[in-house]
Amino acid sequence: MKRAWVAKVMLPLASFAILLLLWQAVVVVFHVQGYIAPRPLDAIRAVTDNWSLLSPLVAQIIKETVYGFLLGAVIGIFFGVVMSKIPLVQRLLYPMLVLSQAVPVIVIAFPLATILGFGSVKPIIAIVVWIVFFPVTVSVIDGLGHVDQDILNLAKVYGASRWRTFVQIEVPATVSPLFSGLKIGATYAITGAFIGELASPEQVAATGSSLALYIQHAESNLDSPAVYGITLLISIIGVAWFLTVSGLETLATPWLRRTTVRRWRRRTIAASPDDH
Amino acid sequence: MTSPVLLDLAGVAKTFSDQVVLAPTDLSILEGSFVSIVGPSGCGKSTLFNIIAGLLEPDAGDVTLQGRSVVGATGHVGYMLQKDLLVPWRSVEDNITMAARLTRKVTAADRAEARSVAERYGLGEFLDHYPKALSGGMRQRVAFMRTLVTHQSLLLLDEPFGALDAQTRLDMQRWLLDVWRESGRTVLFITHDVDESIFLSDRILVMSPRPGRIVADLANPLARPRDLDVLTEPAFVALKSQIMHLLHGGSR
Repeated sequence: MKRAWVAKVMLPLASFAILLLLWQAVVVVFHVQGYIAPRPLDAIRAVTDNWSLLSPLVAQIIKETVYGFLLGAVIGIFFGVVMSKIPLVQRLLYPMLVLSQAVPVIVIAFPLATILGFGSVKPIIAIVVWIVFFPVTVSVIDGLGHVDQDILNLAKVYGASRWRTFVQIEVPATVSPLFSGLKIGATYAITGAFIGELASPEQVAATGSSLALYIQHAESNLDSPAVYGITLLISIIGVAWFLTVSGLETLATPWLRRTTVRRWRRRTIAASPDDH
Repeated sequence: MTSPVLLDLAGVAKTFSDQVVLAPTDLSILEGSFVSIVGPSGCGKSTLFNIIAGLLEPDAGDVTLQGRSVVGATGHVGYMLQKDLLVPWRSVEDNITMAARLTRKVTAADRAEARSVAERYGLGEFLDHYPKALSGGMRQRVAFMRTLVTHQSLLLLDEPFGALDAQTRLDMQRWLLDVWRESGRTVLFITHDVDESIFLSDRILVMSPRPGRIVADLANPLARPRDLDVLTEPAFVALKSQIMHLLHGGSR
């Protein structure tokens, strides 16, 4: 258990630290100019020194990412279930969903902002939804489509209704594929939020600015430490969200790692009178 | 002495795209008996099973269970395949009560029964385990317990031990005989293994393909209870030779 924890948490952190050290070493050894590539410590300082200005923007983009992800997941699951249960709907919708992903997100960002309102957070969340729902829908369709036919037959022989078969067999069998889609969505969600902020030609009303506008401003001022620092910050948020979803997957699929059911699920067995 | 008829097939036939998978078949199974079906692939034995279980509708004929027609209906037999079909996300206990969970609310009585069956047959310590923690033989045992607690009088077992190694298979066969004797169920058992069919059954149906049909209906003279020594008795060997000839044509 302790070893697994080291491998899971310490090793990724260590590799991240090594990456920063390498970066620092390259910049120092080759005398790279600060405006081309700043030292990592300068980049980090550019964030920490301006934290009071940045923190509401960070909170803003986290909110957009998480809300958009959750909404995208719900919509994605809904489409996946409906499409896999009604073949006609699947045949009608699937090409359109693929088409929706073939369009560059930045292209749809402006019409979305026009429709949903400039300066509002809605078009930004809509873009995150747009990016997240697709892998979720595809994974749900795949998951529901690959449930072992023999188990479904067994349920039928027992006289199970379609609803109970769905709840007891098909849904749990789709949990693992679903999380594959959710993890892909989680990775791209922050990118969606950032593109949404870029495309929003006015500032987001709630904070008066956005992280994307801040970084654009820094770029035009050749403020490399700020650009790199915020890039780092955004990738950390992205990774943190991915890890959160991965953690949820671990909680949702105990049978993949554990030998026995968790203690609180053992109530019936503990209630057995002849238990030792 | 004679038991009543539990299952009766009259003129049951099935054709898939011009191929007669099952020629018109008549068959009566007595209550409490153990009947095996042996035959090569494509002889229609699984089609026969699926018709009895209600997964397939026959083109002709009638299937009656305890005098009631069950053609195209489900929920009247216990059913077990070579694949254990345990769901990985449920504990052993919850897998045993799966039939109840799929048809109604699982009661305390269902859980108590699952526990008592598991304890009786040596899996009491594994009730809270996930199936992946169990060996192949243990998993098939759990699958059989799941079949048993459906309380169906007819159990359809389609090569349940086909994927197990020889040693485990023999253990499972002896175990199945014990459970069958104690439970008083009627078993219809598909197998490729002639020895297995003779060791277990009262009666052996030999099937043949193109068209799928029953070519022989043999009574097994071996006395019960049986143990490993019957495998070398002259009556066993004679019956085995007869079945082998039916399956593979006369002596070469």
